[in-house]
Amino acid sequence: MFRTTLQRTVPCIRLVVAPGQFRLNSNAPAPPSKLEVFIDDKKVLVDPGTTVLQAAALAGVEIPRFCYHERLAVAGNCRMCLVEVERSPKPVAACAMPVMNGWKIKTNSELTRKAREGVMEFLLMNHPLDCPICDQGGECDLQDQSMAFGSDRSRFVDIDYSGKRAVEDKDIGPLVKTIMTRCIHCTRCIRFASEVAGVDDLGTTGRGSDMQVGTYIEKMFLSELSGNVIDLCPVGALTSKPYSFSARPWETRKTDSVDVLDALGSNIVVSTRAGDVMRILPRLNEDINEEWLSDKSRFSYDGLKRQRLITPLVKDNKGNLVPVEWEDALVATSRALINANGNIVGVSGGLSDAESMIALKDLLNRLGSEQLYTEEPFPMTGSGTDFRSSYILNSSISGLEQADLVLLIGTNPRYEAPLLNTRIRKSYVHNDLEIALLGPKVDLSYDYEYLGESPAILKDLAEKRHAFYAKLSKAKRPVIILGAQQFEREDGAILLAQAQQLSQELNKNADKGWKILNVLQQVAGQVAALDLGYKPYNNLPAAKVLYLLGADNESLTKCKPAGTTVIYQGHHGDAGAAIADIVLPGAAYTEKQATYVNTEGRAQQTLMAVQPPGMARSDWKIIRAISEFVGVKLPYDTLNEVRDRLTDVCPSMTRYGDLEPANYLVQASDLAKDLSSQTVSTPLNVKQITLEDFYMTDSISRSSPTMAKCIQAVRKQKESKYYESRA
Amino acid sequence: MLSLNKIAKCLLSNSRTFQTSAVLKHDTMFNHRDTKEDNLDIKFEFSDENKKRIDAILAIYPEGHKRAAMIPLLDLAQRQHGWLPISAMHKVADVLDLPKMRVYEVATFYTMFMRKPTGKYHLQVCTTTPCWLRGSDDVISCLKKKLDIGVGETSKDGQWTLSEVECLGACVNAPMMQVNDDYFEDLTTKDVESIIDDLKNGKTPTPGPRSSRYASEPMDGLTSLKEEPYGPGFKVRPDL
Amino acid sequence: MAAREASKCATKIVRPLLSSDKSEAKKRVLNLYKTYYRQIPLMLFDRHLPVSKEECQIKLKEEFLKNKHITDVRVIDMLVIKGQMLLQEIVTKWAQDCHIMTLFKDTVEPKPNDFLSKFVNNNDSQ
Repeated sequence: MFRTTLQRTVPCIRLVVAPGQFRLNSNAPAPPSKLEVFIDDKKVLVDPGTTVLQAAALAGVEIPRFCYHERLAVAGNCRMCLVEVERSPKPVAACAMPVMNGWKIKTNSELTRKAREGVMEFLLMNHPLDCPICDQGGECDLQDQSMAFGSDRSRFVDIDYSGKRAVEDKDIGPLVKTIMTRCIHCTRCIRFASEVAGVDDLGTTGRGSDMQVGTYIEKMFLSELSGNVIDLCPVGALTSKPYSFSARPWETRKTDSVDVLDALGSNIVVSTRAGDVMRILPRLNEDINEEWLSDKSRFSYDGLKRQRLITPLVKDNKGNLVPVEWEDALVATSRALINANGNIVGVSGGLSDAESMIALKDLLNRLGSEQLYTEEPFPMTGSGTDFRSSYILNSSISGLEQADLVLLIGTNPRYEAPLLNTRIRKSYVHNDLEIALLGPKVDLSYDYEYLGESPAILKDLAEKRHAFYAKLSKAKRPVIILGAQQFEREDGAILLAQAQQLSQELNKNADKGWKILNVLQQVAGQVAALDLGYKPYNNLPAAKVLYLLGADNESLTKCKPAGTTVIYQGHHGDAGAAIADIVLPGAAYTEKQATYVNTEGRAQQTLMAVQPPGMARSDWKIIRAISEFVGVKLPYDTLNEVRDRLTDVCPSMTRYGDLEPANYLVQASDLAKDLSSQTVSTPLNVKQITLEDFYMTDSISRSSPTMAKCIQAVRKQKESKYYESRA
Repeated sequence: MLSLNKIAKCLLSNSRTFQTSAVLKHDTMFNHRDTKEDNLDIKFEFSDENKKRIDAILAIYPEGHKRAAMIPLLDLAQRQHGWLPISAMHKVADVLDLPKMRVYEVATFYTMFMRKPTGKYHLQVCTTTPCWLRGSDDVISCLKKKLDIGVGETSKDGQWTLSEVECLGACVNAPMMQVNDDYFEDLTTKDVESIIDDLKNGKTPTPGPRSSRYASEPMDGLTSLKEEPYGPGFKVRPDL
Repeated sequence: MAAREASKCATKIVRPLLSSDKSEAKKRVLNLYKTYYRQIPLMLFDRHLPVSKEECQIKLKEEFLKNKHITDVRVIDMLVIKGQMLLQEIVTKWAQDCHIMTLFKDTVEPKPNDFLSKFVNNNDSQ
C-alpha cells in the first residue's frame, strides 16, 4: 500500500511541476547547487532539500528529537526538534523544515531552549514517572533529553481533579511488551511497521489526549522484524518481553559480534552480565543489516542456555551416553579415529566456524581421509564449487539497492534472510524496484510479479521463450537470486545451470561489471566451508567413523548407519548428539572468537562474550586436542596460529569486514552448458512459507523457549477471525 | 476556627495515606472489542444503490488518491447500517485496497463515526455555553425523562440515542439539538416533547427554529438594515 | 667511551643503605631475628593460628636461612628493612591471620603451559 500511492502520485506531480521547471530553466539562472546556512553562526554548505536537522548534524550540532529517525519517513509530530530561525516568527521543527539559502539557525538560543523545555513539560505531563520499574531506564531518550533540555519542575500538578492519562496495554505478541501509558506518540513504530516491515498492523486510534498507538483490534504484530520497534521506541512503551526486568544497561558488558542464525551475518552486540547473555541488539553495519535485526537473531539467545552439551559424553556398554572427563573422551575419540584407519567422514554443520572447519580438515587429512562434507547440498556437476561466484551472493546485500529488477527463484527471502528482504523492500519503496517470483506463492511484504512455481519457466526464460523475458532483458541491473535450498532437489544442478545461462543472456544488455546471478545461502557456515574446500553433502559414503561438527541435518541423522562410530561435536543436544557414540561439547557463537563468512562472501568474526558453559571448549581446540591424542599434532596452539593457517588456505577469510568478490560467472556457466537444456518439472518448493516456519531453523532456535512461544502465538493468531493471510 | 480547619486539612493531606490521582475516563473506547452487535460474523455489504454511489464517489478522486474517498465511504456505510460496525470498516478497506489499520485510524479519529450501536434517531444536544445559558439543561432532562435513557445511552428498542455534544454552530438559535441530519432550534421543553412525539408517531417534524423566527433574525423584528437594500452603483463615483 | 663510563660506574663506591660494613649488617639481621623470635609467643597469644610456637620458630629460621647466600650489604639491609615492615604489620595487626598463614603454604603448583593441559584445565580464555 505504501508504495502504490507514492508511485501513482508521481505522474501528477510531474504534470504540475514540469511547465514551471521549464520556464525556470529558460529564463532564470539555475538554482545554486549548494545552499549556505549558518548553524549557531557556523557556516555550512548543504544540498537543497536538506532539513534543518541534517544541516545541524553536518555542523556537528545534535538537535534533540523523538519522532525523527534517519531510516523512516519524517513525521514531525513530537516537536522536540524546535529551533529558532532568524526572522521566523515561530520556532520551526528542524526535522521537517528544508533549509533556505542564508538561514541563520540558532540551536542554543533562549527561544529554542524555552521551546524544548515546553515540549518536554507537555510530554512529561502525561508520562508516568515509573522509571525505576521501567525497562528502558538508563537507555531512555526521554530520560536523557529531559535531563539535558527539560525543566526541573512541572506546572501540571493537578492530578487530583483532571487525572493523568492512562492507556490500556496491548498484546502484540510474545516478543514486544507494551506499556502504552508511557507512549509519547512519536509513531516511529507505526512508520517502521508500514515502511520497513511492510506490515500495516500498527496505527493511531482516537484523537487528542485519547489518542493511542495500537492495533485497534486484538492482534499480534505479525512480523519477522518486530523486535526492531523496541530499539526504535524512544521511551519504555515498547520493551522486550524476554528481557523484561532482567538487567539494566549499565550493568551489562557489551561485546561486538556477528549473528549466525541466518546466512547474512548481521552485526550484533551481545549484552552479558555475570556470564549470561542478557540480550542481543543489532549493531550498525550499512553493508549488511543497516540497524535492524530479525526476531530470530535477536530473541533466540535463550536457546543458548537450554539443551546445551556441557560435558563430554561417551556411550557405555549398555548403550547409554554417560558423562566423562575430557581425557577419557579424547582417548575414546582418538581410539575410534585410529581404528578407522583413514575411513573417516567429516560433516560440518551450518553453525560451524571457519577455525574449527580448517582444524577438522587438517586432522582428517593427516589421518588419511579426504572425505569432508558440509551439511548443505550443492550441485557438483559442471564447475561445482570450484568457482566461488557460483555459491555466493555476488551482487552483495547493499548492492541490491542499485538493482532495477529482482528475480527470486525458489526462495522466500522474507524468512530465509529477513534483512535481505528489507533491502529489497527498501528499493521497492524508494527506487521503484520491480520484483518477480518463481516458486511457491508467499507474502514477501511487497508486490511482485508471480511467474509460477514450475521450474520449466526458468528454462523458458533462459531460452527467451517466456513473456517475462522481454522485461528481464530490458533491465540494466537485473538480479537473480536463487535459493540455496533448491540444491536439495535432485535436479538442483539443472536449475543452477539454467539460472547461470539466463544470467549470461541478461549480461549482454546489463551494465558493465554488474553481476546478475546470486545464490542465497541458508546457513552461516556454508560459504566458509566451501571456501575451505569442503565438498557439499549430496551422498554420504559409508565410513567407519562419522565426525559430525555441529551437523544436525535431518537427512544425516534420521538413520544411523550400522557399524559406524558417530562422533558429534557441537553445542546443542539436538538430532546429531542423539545418534552419537561420543559427544564433545563445543561452544556456541557467543562463546568463542571465530570466523564466519556470510552469504555475500564477507568474512566476519564473533567475539567471546561469555565463557562456554561447563566443560565445553572452543571448537578448534577440541580438534587440536584430539590431534595430539591421535598422534598427528596439528601445528597450531593459539587462535592466531589457526588464523595464520586459515590465511594460507584462503587469504580473504581473515580480512574481516571486507567483501571478497568473485568473478568467474562466465566460466561457470560455460561448464554447465549441457545441463541447462534438460527439463525439470517438479514444482519448486521452499521450507519457510509462513511466519511460523521462520522461528525454528537450527539447533539454537529450536531449543529457545521464546521461539516456541512465537510459533504458538502465530498459530493462535491464525485461528483468530482477524488474521489476514496475504500470500 | 477557620485556620484550625486548614491546619487539620494540611496535616491530613500530609499524613501517609494511600494516595492516587484521579482517574481520567473517556466515554468512548479506542479499541475494538467483539460484542454481540459488532463482530466479524456480522457481515456488511453495501447495497446495490450504494455501490453505484461508491463508483460515483471514487470517480471524483484521481488515480493514486483513492484513499481520500475513505471518509465519504465510511459515511455511506454508516448511513446504510445506522452506525459503523467493524465489518463495515473492513469493507471500506477492501474497496479502497488499504490496510485495515488505516481505516480504523480515520474511523476512530472522527467523533461522528459511531462505532457503537446507535438508535434510529440520534439526538445530539448542544451543551456548550450559549446553549447552556439558554436552557440546554432543561432540554436534556426533558429528553432523559421522556425517553428513559441517560446521556450516551441507547434506548432498549434501538430507536433513540441521546448524546451531549459541543457547539454545533447554531448559537444564535440556542438551545438546539440535532436529530440525525436535522437541526431543531430555539427549543423549549414543550418543543422537545412534540418533536419526540412526532418522531414516535412516524411523522417528520419540521427542522429549524421552533420559535416564530424564520432563521436567526432578532425575535422582535429587525432593529437595523430595515430599508431596502441599495442597488448596484450605490455611492459609486458617477464616472465609473 | 661508553665502556669506560660503565667501568667507572661499576667501581664506584655505592652509598650504604643502613650498614657501613658486613659486621654491622650481621648485627642488624640478628637483631631482627631476635625481635621476631620474641614476638612469636605474643603473636600466637593475640591470634588464633593453627600453628604451634615451635612450628613458627622453625618457619622463622627457614625464612632467614632462605637468604643466607646473600653477601651484598645493601641487599641484606633492604631485606632487613622489609623484615621490619612485615614485623610492624604483624604487631599492629595490619597483616591478618591469612597473610601470616601464607608463609606456611606449600609450594604453588606452576600453571600449565602446553596446549593439552591448558585445554583440560580450561585455564585460558582463547
